[in-house]
Amino acid sequence: MSEYDVINSRAARLDAPDKVTGRAVFVDDMSMPGMLYGAMLQSPVAHAKILNVDISEALKLPGVKSVVTAKEAGLINYGVSPARYDETLFCSDRVRYVGDEIAAVAAVDLETAMEAVSLIKVTYEELPILLTVEEAMAEGAPQLHDKYPGNICAEVHQEFGDVATAFKECDIIKTTTFTNKRQDAAFIEPQGVLANYDLSGHLTLYSSTQVPHYVQRIVSMVLGLPMGKVRVVKPYVGGGFGIKAATNPMELAACLLSMKTRKPVKMNYSREQVFLFSRARHQFVHKMTTGVKKDGTIVALEHECYLDGGAYSSFGIATVYYAGSLLGGPYKLQNMKYDGYRAYTNKPACGAHRGHGGVAARACWEQQLDMIAEELNMDPLDFRLMNMMETGDVSCNDLSMSSFGMRECIEAIKEGSDWKSKKGKLPKGKGIGMACGFFVSGAGYPIYRSDTPHSTMVIKLTEDGGSAILYSGSAEIGQGSDTAFAMIAAETIGIPLENVRIESGDTDFGVDLGAYSSRQTLMTGHATKEAAEDVKQQVLDVLSKELNVAVEEMDIKQGRIIFKNETPDYSVLKTAYIKEHRGWTDQPEGAYLTFNEAARIAFLVKGPIVGTGKYSPPILGGRFKGAAVGTSPAYGCSAMIAEVSVDMDTGHVTVDKVTDAHDCGKAINRTSVEAQMQGSISMGLGEALFEEVKFDDKGHIINSDLAEYKIPTILDMPPVDAIVVETNEPNGPFGAKEVGEGGIMPVIPAILNAVYDAIGERIYELPMSSERIYMALNKKNKK
Amino acid sequence: MLLPKFKFHEPKTEQEACQILTEYGDKARPIAGGTDLVVNMKKKLMSPEHVVSLSRIASLKGLQKENGFVKIGACFTVADMIEAKDIRENVNALSAGAAALGSPLVRNLATIGGNLGSARPAADLPPPLMAYGATLILKSGKGKRNIAIDDFFKSPGTTECRPDEFIAEIQVLTPPAGAGAGYINLGARKAQDCNIVNVASFICLNKSGVIDTARVILGCVGPVHLRAPAAEKILMGEKPDKVLFRQAADAAKTDCLPITDFRGTGEYKRAMVGVLTQRTLEIALDEAKKNN
Amino acid sequence: MKELINLTINDQAYEVAVAPNQTLVDVLRYQLELTGTKKGCELGDCGSCTVIMDGKPVNSCLVLAMQAVGKDIKTIEGLETEQGLHPVQKAFVEKQGVQCGFCTSGMILSAKSLLDKNGDPTEHEIRKALSGNLCRCTGYQKIIESVQAASKGVSK
Repeated sequence: MSEYDVINSRAARLDAPDKVTGRAVFVDDMSMPGMLYGAMLQSPVAHAKILNVDISEALKLPGVKSVVTAKEAGLINYGVSPARYDETLFCSDRVRYVGDEIAAVAAVDLETAMEAVSLIKVTYEELPILLTVEEAMAEGAPQLHDKYPGNICAEVHQEFGDVATAFKECDIIKTTTFTNKRQDAAFIEPQGVLANYDLSGHLTLYSSTQVPHYVQRIVSMVLGLPMGKVRVVKPYVGGGFGIKAATNPMELAACLLSMKTRKPVKMNYSREQVFLFSRARHQFVHKMTTGVKKDGTIVALEHECYLDGGAYSSFGIATVYYAGSLLGGPYKLQNMKYDGYRAYTNKPACGAHRGHGGVAARACWEQQLDMIAEELNMDPLDFRLMNMMETGDVSCNDLSMSSFGMRECIEAIKEGSDWKSKKGKLPKGKGIGMACGFFVSGAGYPIYRSDTPHSTMVIKLTEDGGSAILYSGSAEIGQGSDTAFAMIAAETIGIPLENVRIESGDTDFGVDLGAYSSRQTLMTGHATKEAAEDVKQQVLDVLSKELNVAVEEMDIKQGRIIFKNETPDYSVLKTAYIKEHRGWTDQPEGAYLTFNEAARIAFLVKGPIVGTGKYSPPILGGRFKGAAVGTSPAYGCSAMIAEVSVDMDTGHVTVDKVTDAHDCGKAINRTSVEAQMQGSISMGLGEALFEEVKFDDKGHIINSDLAEYKIPTILDMPPVDAIVVETNEPNGPFGAKEVGEGGIMPVIPAILNAVYDAIGERIYELPMSSERIYMALNKKNKK
Repeated sequence: MLLPKFKFHEPKTEQEACQILTEYGDKARPIAGGTDLVVNMKKKLMSPEHVVSLSRIASLKGLQKENGFVKIGACFTVADMIEAKDIRENVNALSAGAAALGSPLVRNLATIGGNLGSARPAADLPPPLMAYGATLILKSGKGKRNIAIDDFFKSPGTTECRPDEFIAEIQVLTPPAGAGAGYINLGARKAQDCNIVNVASFICLNKSGVIDTARVILGCVGPVHLRAPAAEKILMGEKPDKVLFRQAADAAKTDCLPITDFRGTGEYKRAMVGVLTQRTLEIALDEAKKNN
Repeated sequence: MKELINLTINDQAYEVAVAPNQTLVDVLRYQLELTGTKKGCELGDCGSCTVIMDGKPVNSCLVLAMQAVGKDIKTIEGLETEQGLHPVQKAFVEKQGVQCGFCTSGMILSAKSLLDKNGDPTEHEIRKALSGNLCRCTGYQKIIESVQAASKGVSK
């Protein structure tokens, strides 16, 4: 039995009834009187000088209300990290990828807006294009950004311990290279916006975003408005996975068009534009050399990595750090050297995508560890058990495992999959493989340098005393955060979940950095708990005075006031409440004082009962350059076993079964934790087997739709056994930490290792398409 | 995504449809389920001035077994083909082709006529229909004509169907005793996928167990679906077994002209032609034995 | 240019002016304010625009509004009755077959169509029936569990 009344349960999501009935409002479901429709002109060429932009014909088209270009928008640089603001809203002199934004139009309807876009005449002088890291880093390559010579957007050089010396102690030294492919997040809701600059000069932007706060800042900065006059509201969002965690040009363009026309302006990306905007997973090329002693101790890792960044930085500077720092765990590794490079190319920018920076690195390393275990003649599970970190361990790059249920995860999947009876015993064409992973529970620092709290929460009790309303800038994007915060508040105050309501995703409600880096449960959860404690304290304070009972002698549980010692005479309070509510049908009954009554009394005495909470991470480890990327108040970890079948003639891989375990600290909502694990597995499975954004030699995306960019269908997904492992995270609210991204870490390498088990060949390049497996089998047969 | 502008016609009879198509000729395009045409129009690959819906013509929606033929109206949906007992029991490889097409949602709209008329080299219905030696009935103001499906496809997106004509019916001769057919498609995913390679095979055994008819059809490895003459030649007059099928499969690989594109290399597609030829022949043989 | 047509949606008759190049999903969403039907790809690839037309789930982004005349159309808004949520909707709430909610309308309509035909489907039948509806959040596991729970509810 749980010691909790609300959390740690399988409570139904608060938003589910709206979503199953079609009532939940997403941004494209909104409309406003007098609303205009926007459309954007995007570059058809991958790299060119802009010689001229002629909007005169577009302006003449009846129904067109405004056409804006760099001339109207100005040239304020923006981006994600202030260290790499390398974008402007519209290109003025140069386009750098197919899709780069040149102009936007607002018109009375979408048809007119699209036609106007087709009437804008741009004269280009085409420039040579760079489509690969090699081309970008070659000597004499054309430079995409004057500020970043050699087309190097960012580079990282780190060494912890002494790798060269450590290798001398090693008995096995193994080097492998590995590459994934550029991925698309393929959330089902394309980005959309509705901007409304009202007649008093206030701008409200409704957007399908994960980060209302960051969007508010960038919109203010780029359009030159005070932040207090910009409000960003997130309606329901149809998934984001990192791509919606930064401002997009459509948000800025719609705002600018609304300011120009003084009308609401609506815009949407088509599915093709979702691909053109991209900002999803980079293509990484990893070269790793791992040194191990013959007893199985992992001693050193030397790691070199190249990222194909696309035309702009987006999150890339963080990505290139994460690609290195996230190998600091989950194993005890004392020596680690990392050299990472992110190159600019003439393709859409890549950015943050579930498992930011760490997914391909994890796949490369966990496969290599599997190879080493085989060479050592050790069970790969035992090899990992022997090397894994435990609670209290600190990695060589100063990541502190304040709770770490790695052992429990490994043991859970071993048991759950019947590993012992399968590993090494399956027929040809069948395979089983495992891998581990870990991830941050929230970035330790905001994207811009600031002492801002990462999350704030305001809880107001309704004046009747019946309900608590949460006001937060946090972003429910499908993961279930609204429900989690409501549960935390209900648990903390001591009231039933149905008496809690949440309003979120609105910058008017406070600062919250939003839904990225798996941060909200821990960080917003903390702020929620603090605000709820504040509310509870205020109610009990009033009660204490009214009843002359010390606060410490009271508590609130399940909506009732608990008197720990003697029960005082509260009949006066009850009588007053009853008198106030004559004729009401829901008068509190029973021989106890309800929270309703107590909160009503508190309001009568004090006025509004409003509690506030905030969260700032504690000072975190690492003083070296780049230490800010990877440090987190807590780390979740996971382990997964995949079982596969390979068609030995066609090379087609089917994942038959997945057994997965994840340490999420204390599960706030157990069903939601499993749901995040299962979702992570399908995204990882897609990247492992199918997904790849493909370009032609002119830099056009060939497969910019969901027919040819293949995410898993329900028939491609195996049954998943999601085992929730709980630890007590001291830095988390009620001991909770992340699950949203860490869940994806072991997926690809577990499948890689299972495929090897099935076919006896290692695959070093994703996706594991039928053709790639067939070619590997062919090569093997020829040997 | 907006569709280009067009005028929309919904004839209620075949005769009306003939009149409209005669009037507008190559400015018109027939639509049935719309699962190909609407996509192509949204992508601006096509923008006919007139779109002529055949969906309200009741006579195009039938399915009959008659005089040894399974006769399928052009507007019979792919989903209904999977359900249809007459198809499953007589021409099962066509059921397999229907089940492989798109997704359940697409299959509820898509029609057999549309899948043939759009002439996509990766389409799922042409290989089994070619394996069964189907005939298409084309109609126009000038009357009707029958055309063997082998002669129907010209190049990707173009067919023997003239602008003033429409596909009215597909007729498949019910295979005799001793016949069997198989269809397999290979894609990346297990649903709603564009095929990398698809193959259908048909064999008929005579009383002494010798193959007296063989048709092997290869999809995605040429501008249109291809017959595999070398493979068929190897099969003809022989008793079926694994070795023979392997030889036929190897021959089929020389019967095709796969190109390398983003779905796969020519080398892989050619190899898969071999694998799928072998496997479809095995399915065909199983069925042939059962039908004896 | 536009023409008045009559549509029957959720057993209600609508008269609406449409142009030939308008798709059913756009008319539902932007003219009739039935925004529970979503648009994820507009090319028939994702299934978020699923509606039930004459008893069969279809991609409403591939149907011309004019083609829908005379058809019996059911959207997600038409599933609730005076008795409350449809059993499939209830099951999606209880089993958390919902995350972001964008594919949910389509999933539920495909599931309902399946259960109307087959009250006790196997897991594979469920997977086949929903294979035109993409979901990027759930990994489909809880969607399957929801449909299974609903099928038990229906067959009871």
